[in-house]
Amino acid sequence: MSNAITAQFPARVSAYAVSRSQAIPWYIWCCVAASSSILTGLYWDVSWHATIGRDTFWTPAHLLIQFAGILTAISSGVLIFSTTFGSDQAAKRASVSVLGFRGPMGAFIAAWGGVAMLASAPFDNWWHDAYGLDVKIISPPHMVLALGIASILWGAVILILGQMNRAEETLQRRLHSLLLACSGMIVVLYFIITLQSSGRVFMHSPIAYVAASLGLPFLLESMARASGWRWARTAMASIYMAFFLLAVWIFPLFPGEPKLGPVYFKVTHMVPLGFPMLLAIPAFVLDYLWPKVKSWNKSSQALIAGTAFLAVMVAVQWPFASLLSSPAGHNWFFGTIYHYYATPPNSLDVRNEFYHSLPAAFWIGMASAWGLAVLSTLGGIVFGNWMREVRR
Amino acid sequence: MILRSVLLLLAVLLLPMAGLAHIGSPDIYYDGYAGPYHLMVTIRTPVVIPGVAQIEVRSASDDVSRIQILPLRMVGPGADLPPKPDLAERSSADPQRFNGNLWIMVRGSWRVQLKVEGQRGPGELDVPVAAVSTVSAPMSKAFGGMLAALGLLLVAGVIAMVGATTVAKLDPSQEPTPAIRRRGQIRMGAAAAVMIVVLFGASHWWSVEAGSNSRLIYKLPHAELSLQGGNTLHVQLENPNAEAGFDTFGSLRMERQDRLRLDDLISDHGHLVHLFLVRMPDMKSFWHLHPAGGSTAEFTQNLPSLPAGHYQVYADIVHQTGFPETEVAEIDLPSTAGTPLTGDDSGGADLAPSEKVAMLSDGYRMIWAQDGKPLKTKEPIWFRFRIEDQQGKPATGLENYMGMAGHAVFLKTDGQVFAHVHPAGSVSMAAEEIAQAAATGTRPGMAMATMQHAGTPAAAEVSFPYGFPQPGDYRIYVQVKRNGRVETGSFAAHVQDY
Repeated sequence: MSNAITAQFPARVSAYAVSRSQAIPWYIWCCVAASSSILTGLYWDVSWHATIGRDTFWTPAHLLIQFAGILTAISSGVLIFSTTFGSDQAAKRASVSVLGFRGPMGAFIAAWGGVAMLASAPFDNWWHDAYGLDVKIISPPHMVLALGIASILWGAVILILGQMNRAEETLQRRLHSLLLACSGMIVVLYFIITLQSSGRVFMHSPIAYVAASLGLPFLLESMARASGWRWARTAMASIYMAFFLLAVWIFPLFPGEPKLGPVYFKVTHMVPLGFPMLLAIPAFVLDYLWPKVKSWNKSSQALIAGTAFLAVMVAVQWPFASLLSSPAGHNWFFGTIYHYYATPPNSLDVRNEFYHSLPAAFWIGMASAWGLAVLSTLGGIVFGNWMREVRR
Repeated sequence: MILRSVLLLLAVLLLPMAGLAHIGSPDIYYDGYAGPYHLMVTIRTPVVIPGVAQIEVRSASDDVSRIQILPLRMVGPGADLPPKPDLAERSSADPQRFNGNLWIMVRGSWRVQLKVEGQRGPGELDVPVAAVSTVSAPMSKAFGGMLAALGLLLVAGVIAMVGATTVAKLDPSQEPTPAIRRRGQIRMGAAAAVMIVVLFGASHWWSVEAGSNSRLIYKLPHAELSLQGGNTLHVQLENPNAEAGFDTFGSLRMERQDRLRLDDLISDHGHLVHLFLVRMPDMKSFWHLHPAGGSTAEFTQNLPSLPAGHYQVYADIVHQTGFPETEVAEIDLPSTAGTPLTGDDSGGADLAPSEKVAMLSDGYRMIWAQDGKPLKTKEPIWFRFRIEDQQGKPATGLENYMGMAGHAVFLKTDGQVFAHVHPAGSVSMAAEEIAQAAATGTRPGMAMATMQHAGTPAAAEVSFPYGFPQPGDYRIYVQVKRNGRVETGSFAAHVQDY
């Protein structure tokens, strides 16, 4: 693996701009720690809502998210202020200017995420007062929070890339591992945000595939391009699958019961968020195809990769969803025995049935998913090419 | 915290037309027994569902050691799977008072279960609660300004960061050239255009969400009234909340089990509808009638002899789920030569209000036993009325009126607050019956027989637990039955803000 990585980074090291040390800078560790903390907290929080229902400011899940926000705010703030007002000329030269401040690009993105998280708190509070307490993952204030969280994760990625793209070989390799880890975490975040649309019951309708095609090709393609490593997509998808698999197996080991009514489904232990989609398979196919198409123009690459992504995703996930909904899937391993406490007894989820679209809506939906997959891939290629060149 | 208080205040100010079993009186006051323990329960329901209700429980005795509270759906799924109960905390100021919070997550008919432990063993009490969203709080200018400022900062940050993407690609040894800077400016322009589209999209999304929410806000039903054949009142009930009883997801349209419908009305102490007519503004002509009919939500009532005037009308109904509603209406009536009152119908054409003593027939009197303290909003009070004969002795011959020792109506002089209250409190008796049946696993009719309430038919005193929701002037109409005849006392009350 290390040889393969080294082979991807030949002439990108500038003699002037090499990192002054082979150690990974503290602020990158801070961003990686914040990303891990925020993601664990987020998953835990959704599980908390599905199991216990009621929360406070001080739940462990919230504390992890808040810790991440504070860590990002402090580390990005220190980095930006020390670069702007400090006397380190090398740091100033390796920075960009945003709204009059100077700092690495990734630090600004992460700081933006911190401000967005901060803004989402009073907005969410007002939303509860106006429209009721949380019942939806996807609401405007939650989306502001999700954008903030995503920015913190993307900030970590760009910060790593800015350093990696001008680092020497040893440091570059170490940073690359962190890059893959953070990229995988962004895929995890994507699945948490789209949970309401990517559930098992939607896997025989276009809904799950539209949700997947909207962002996953972009993430896989952009990060893979930035990484330059042949198997980056597979690695990212595997990180997501490993995260969700571990959660499916670990969360139900801990007791938990609803503190809210109505309780439609008896819950005695923490509810996980479902078995992961088999993303590693389409990701592997894309990795396999990449060397064969990388000399083509961007649109052709996007057409092939986007089509391949959707085709493999449907081919794999459709029958796998049938397995999950069959008696063979009703066990702790696949996790289909766990349900949110307020899942109505007549819901498709509990009845192990699928949501079916009308034929016209199905084909329109699938065509939309295909178009989105191609466009998303194209966006990923363009953004990935930019990320590959980030040096500040 | 201050902001929260301001928002809450705004929400409360928007409350007056909140409906349900009463008009403008959403708080629940309940007097009942959890086993051997006599409790006064006050539940302040949230104005937005999902939301948090406040519960206060006061025990008449000092031997209660612990009270657990939990909300359950009244009927259907969720009615038999309790969440983990909460412990009501004992008040430090009053050791016989316990306070707690109840999270009400969906609209509809609920029962709040109180599990009491004390020196006389365990006891349980179930209080029916109807939960609906009644308002959507507006955003204050200051808060909106703060959010807008944060939003502008975020938008400016995005545009500036997009502009910096050209420089971010430069090696630190390179200075940005004018061409690179120009490219950055072009990107900023493009980013600004995209942000405008995004903001419009977000605004549209917000509007859609707000629209969906307003569809779920409880709408006060207005009954249609007409006078037919000189003295027959025709009542057509309305169901403006029917549409909110469906959940839609794409092409799927699913009927919620608790959808409000007009073909599921159940009898509440013997009648499908309790119709109250009060002539405004003098409020001296007051009638408590029980129209017949029902299958098509149409009812008719032969009117007694009423004086002409503009009448405010309230129609109490209860659905099969135990969800109570009050429909409102207004009608101008001519002087009617009606039929004598029959059955449980009652009222009076010239009930002069008194602050303390109301004159009844045969020289009997109804006396409001007050403690002399000024009446304040939100304060749970036992309104106690004593019935005396001509000599000032406790009256005899009192009997149950529709299964209760008495009925009381609390009506604000502007008609914006109406509450039909019994000795057990402000809950519907039919809903209470369903709640007790659900708790004991019996049929509703069976559970009623085991209920205990303050006020017994033979006593010459009847009391009603209630709290005024708003300051202002009120009339209190108290009805008792003596020797087969329903007597109505009218009282005037002035309520100060708490």
